Amino acid sequence: MTRRRIAGGAAALLFALVLAQQPWGELPRRARYMAVFAPKELAVRRLGGSGAALDRRYFSFLENARRRIPPGTPGVALRVLEPRPDMPYLYLATYCLAPLPVSMGPFAAGGVPKGWITALYGANPAGETGLLARLPEGVLIGPSPGPHP
Amino acid sequence: MTFVLSLLLVGAALLVVSGVGLGTSGALLPPDRAFFLERLGWSDALGCATLIASVALALGPGASPRLAFALFAAVAVAMGRRFRLTPTAAARGQGLPRILLAVVVLGVAVYVLRALTEPMWANDYIAIWGLKGRTLFAARGYPDRFYASATLQYSHPEYPLGIPLLYAGLSFLAGRWDDHAMALLFPFLQVATLFVLVGWLRRRGVAPAVAGAAAALVAWFEPLYSGFLTGMAEVPLAFGMVLFGTSLADTLDETDPGAARRLALASALVAATKNEGLFLAGVGCLVALAFGKASRWRFAAAALVPALGVRALHFPWRSRLPLADFDAGLFTAARVRDSLEAAGRLLGPAAWAGLALIALLIATGDRVPAGGRLLLLAGAALAAYLVLPAFAVRGPAWLVETTLRRTAAALGPLVAAGIAVRFSGGSSGSGTGPRASATSP
Repeated sequence: MTRRRIAGGAAALLFALVLAQQPWGELPRRARYMAVFAPKELAVRRLGGSGAALDRRYFSFLENARRRIPPGTPGVALRVLEPRPDMPYLYLATYCLAPLPVSMGPFAAGGVPKGWITALYGANPAGETGLLARLPEGVLIGPSPGPHP
Repeated sequence: MTFVLSLLLVGAALLVVSGVGLGTSGALLPPDRAFFLERLGWSDALGCATLIASVALALGPGASPRLAFALFAAVAVAMGRRFRLTPTAAARGQGLPRILLAVVVLGVAVYVLRALTEPMWANDYIAIWGLKGRTLFAARGYPDRFYASATLQYSHPEYPLGIPLLYAGLSFLAGRWDDHAMALLFPFLQVATLFVLVGWLRRRGVAPAVAGAAAALVAWFEPLYSGFLTGMAEVPLAFGMVLFGTSLADTLDETDPGAARRLALASALVAATKNEGLFLAGVGCLVALAFGKASRWRFAAAALVPALGVRALHFPWRSRLPLADFDAGLFTAARVRDSLEAAGRLLGPAAWAGLALIALLIATGDRVPAGGRLLLLAGAALAAYLVLPAFAVRGPAWLVETTLRRTAAALGPLVAAGIAVRFSGGSSGSGTGPRASATSP
């Protein structure tokens, strides 16, 4: 057998291996997802997708918050009460609210910086002072008067 | 706005970008038919480079990015015409066998479905590439918190800004930020990679069936062209590596007078894409010094100087903070061994079988210098990916498990080109015919 034939056989086997490793089962699901979500607005498409799978209610909160944050707000202090907040929550908030700075604290001067909005997820307090907006998934509070000395 | 309408806008933006590249490409590739497919791929690279540069310079003084792109495009096209290359005697090769062409097209179609199913979502897209791109677009600038504050250290301030600038640039052209429609960029880059791969192999004398088989393998290479990696840096880097490797081989073999220019552009692009791009440029520089004969210093400069230039331009936005994930003091031989063991555990039976088949393909090919150089580049990159985890703060195994699969996958198209060109029947090293003597005035 010539080297070329061996190479041809190896290439054919490699291609068969590549085909065998394809996640074929996902393709119909992808096609169905596109058919359902393509006519909808971008936020709804993300809400239904993998990017919001972390916590779809949380993404809904961020999208609602983004639409209610007043223009000129210098930043957002994020508080996630439930579940226990971790970095992916911060990543998603920072991405969704960009270009606004988003921080989960702690803040250097002991308080939320002046003018920042606090976005509180997982709580719907009745008597919160400085309530800016009540959202289905939480509240927006502020703007902050600045850190307390 | 619905997805289809947004997709049309991004598609139109990509067409404009590609058109600008096509208008400029005469300075990089001779006008022969033998360069036709490569021209299409390089046009995409040139257009993207023009867009990235225009957005980077427009955002500083607060100029209109669209206006800046129009000006840059006009200058680029004028320069392309001014320095266009004259024809060579390169022979035009046959196209791919129809069955293989159909397999390639089907592979691309499957990736289009994977890439466009939903808005880009991978963790690194959300935390790094997409975050920076969206911020550049929405803020029309790059806030200093990205490189001066530890709060955004997870976004890797030490990474180059080429991809975020490209995202922002496409959004400026399309008129809106749509992280679902913008995923079209990734199949666009896959197709550009295939154009360069097939065009280069055919021009180097590789049989249509072999070039087609290489393209089919690349088009269906799901570890790279997956929904997960859409939005991240691997697909653009894989394209950049093919551009860099093929142009380095052409430069060293002096196939045509545009080769060193292409190498310079590829060097800048890989350095703007990811940090390992600069490493690749360094390796290319050493390869040029080793094999460049009388012109070795000129070729080495073409491989490295543009990459260094890009990094120098990036300096004002580069993090002043120490790296969070790496510490040079942690390096030991034992940690390298840990990294290699973790890599071994990562590979399942199918991956081992695939690697064995790749080794067999390399062993059965001819000794072709161009193939050796491409495989050398890929080998050096793979070695770096295996050694780098020894510096990882969270341990070698952590970095190997979280990144090696995808970073190594980005080498796939480069390896495919390096292997396939070894089946050129010995005609590869001779180039495409007599060299053109000069550029036209």
